[in-house]
Amino acid sequence: MRAKRMLSLVAALAAVVLLAAACGGDSNKLKTDNNGSGGGAGKHVVIGSAGFTEINLMAAMYQLLLEKAGYSTSIKVVANRELYEPALEKGQINVVPDYAATMAEFLNVKKNGPNAKPVSSNDKDQTVAALNKLAEPLGLKALDPAQAVDQNAFAATTANAKKNGANLSDWNGQKVVLAATPECPDRPFCQPGLKNTYGITVTKLLPLGFGTAQVKKALTDNKAQLGLVGTTDATLASMGLVIIKDDKGLQEADNLVPVVGKGFTSDTTMADTLNKLAGVLTTDDLAQMDKKVDGERQKPADVAKAYLQSKGLL
Amino acid sequence: MTSLVVPMSALGDAVSWLGDLSHWQGQNGIPILTYQILKLSFLALVIAAAIALPIALWLGHVGRGGALAINITNVGRAIPIYALMVVLAVGPLGLGQRVTVIALVLFGIPPIVTNTYVGVRGVDRDTVEAARGMGLTAWQVLWRVEVPLAFLLIMTGLRLAAVQILATATLGAYFLAGGLGFLIYDGFSRQDQAELVSGAFLVAALALLVEGLFELLQRRLDPVRRTDRAGGVSVPRV
Repeated sequence: MRAKRMLSLVAALAAVVLLAAACGGDSNKLKTDNNGSGGGAGKHVVIGSAGFTEINLMAAMYQLLLEKAGYSTSIKVVANRELYEPALEKGQINVVPDYAATMAEFLNVKKNGPNAKPVSSNDKDQTVAALNKLAEPLGLKALDPAQAVDQNAFAATTANAKKNGANLSDWNGQKVVLAATPECPDRPFCQPGLKNTYGITVTKLLPLGFGTAQVKKALTDNKAQLGLVGTTDATLASMGLVIIKDDKGLQEADNLVPVVGKGFTSDTTMADTLNKLAGVLTTDDLAQMDKKVDGERQKPADVAKAYLQSKGLL
Repeated sequence: MTSLVVPMSALGDAVSWLGDLSHWQGQNGIPILTYQILKLSFLALVIAAAIALPIALWLGHVGRGGALAINITNVGRAIPIYALMVVLAVGPLGLGQRVTVIALVLFGIPPIVTNTYVGVRGVDRDTVEAARGMGLTAWQVLWRVEVPLAFLLIMTGLRLAAVQILATATLGAYFLAGGLGFLIYDGFSRQDQAELVSGAFLVAALALLVEGLFELLQRRLDPVRRTDRAGGVSVPRV
């Protein structure tokens, strides 16, 4: 009995707190929306970062660009999309660099459940449009996607690329050993995609991970003919490996895109500022920057600054 | 509340995962994976013992250089083993069991050296002197006096090495060496909690089994009977 009464008391308290939070949120929203379309001067922007090299670099570039546009900024590292996406809705984080298709599918699953029909495709503009359709009701907005895309890709040795072709469709009918993640046979972009889209038969899967040193070693030793890597992996060339082109667009458009949250969706200064980067950033640029941070131990902020200066954006 | 519910259900899932007969068959079935990890571990233990025992026995016997040997071999413990395996695998060794065994050997040497050295060094000096006085050669002193008296510690070193090697051999799965670590790797990659927990459970069970086996061996093979050891202490010296 006693426990039950305690429980209802707690529930009532929780309801009051939630209500208060909701009210607070609303008034907050009104306030920020009022000056939302104004210039950057003095406004504080919290940039979210998922904390790994590539996203750290993106966040550092956003920071430099936004500060130049007159915002004051800070970077908050929040590792999971499950955590930073709600923070964007609440206005605790204001902008985050993300991958278009992955974010679109995240919101899709969040809204329509785990078996939701995919909304993203291999076309970046279409994917961002789908992303924005899901983002708008949540008070979020994706800006322009960059050319730069971090996708899954299949690498081979230059010798095998010469022999079988530079495009995956050239490999039609080949039987290969594939070095990839253990879940590759389950994922449509991976083993089934190679079979159905390109007619490549995987005779054996070596479970060596995604773009790991082991995957590359298996390729250079010709223990595997194709290996799963990322498009922004700049170490491939130095190992005599090359990405076999996904010429039929099996992979989804995981282009880098800024997603802005509450209070900033109609901030044109921010959109203009960040869209400038989207216009120039290529996959190769990003790969080279990743390499400088991971391979040469340079600081993301320094690498970001040097890049932006070289492109005349700072 | 939820923090309790999640692991409990994962355990339940693991039990039904282990109960699924299809997981006991084929190339990645539990029996083959178990055989692979035992083979890797056994090889590594034998090689580690072959390297560590002679060195540690001799150093313990002459009573010098022990601190140095212990410190040098402890480097094996300080090296991040996964990084070492990557370096070895990317080198000429290539992927596979060799890389895994070599890394495991480095990992298995320190406990054997430390315990064996301490064990031999710790044998009562009076006993050793008496043996010498009776005209035993250095070899006989080592083999008939020091080793039997240090036996328990030597076995402890081997046991620690065996359990450490077995638990670490799970990393072999990342280098095409197979073994039960594959279930952990595969379960983690596929977000299959039941498979992951089952793999961890099997490795832990196997480690306990090996530990028990060594305990048994230690008792059976102890050249100085337990009663004698106990008696030796309680009997007042004249």
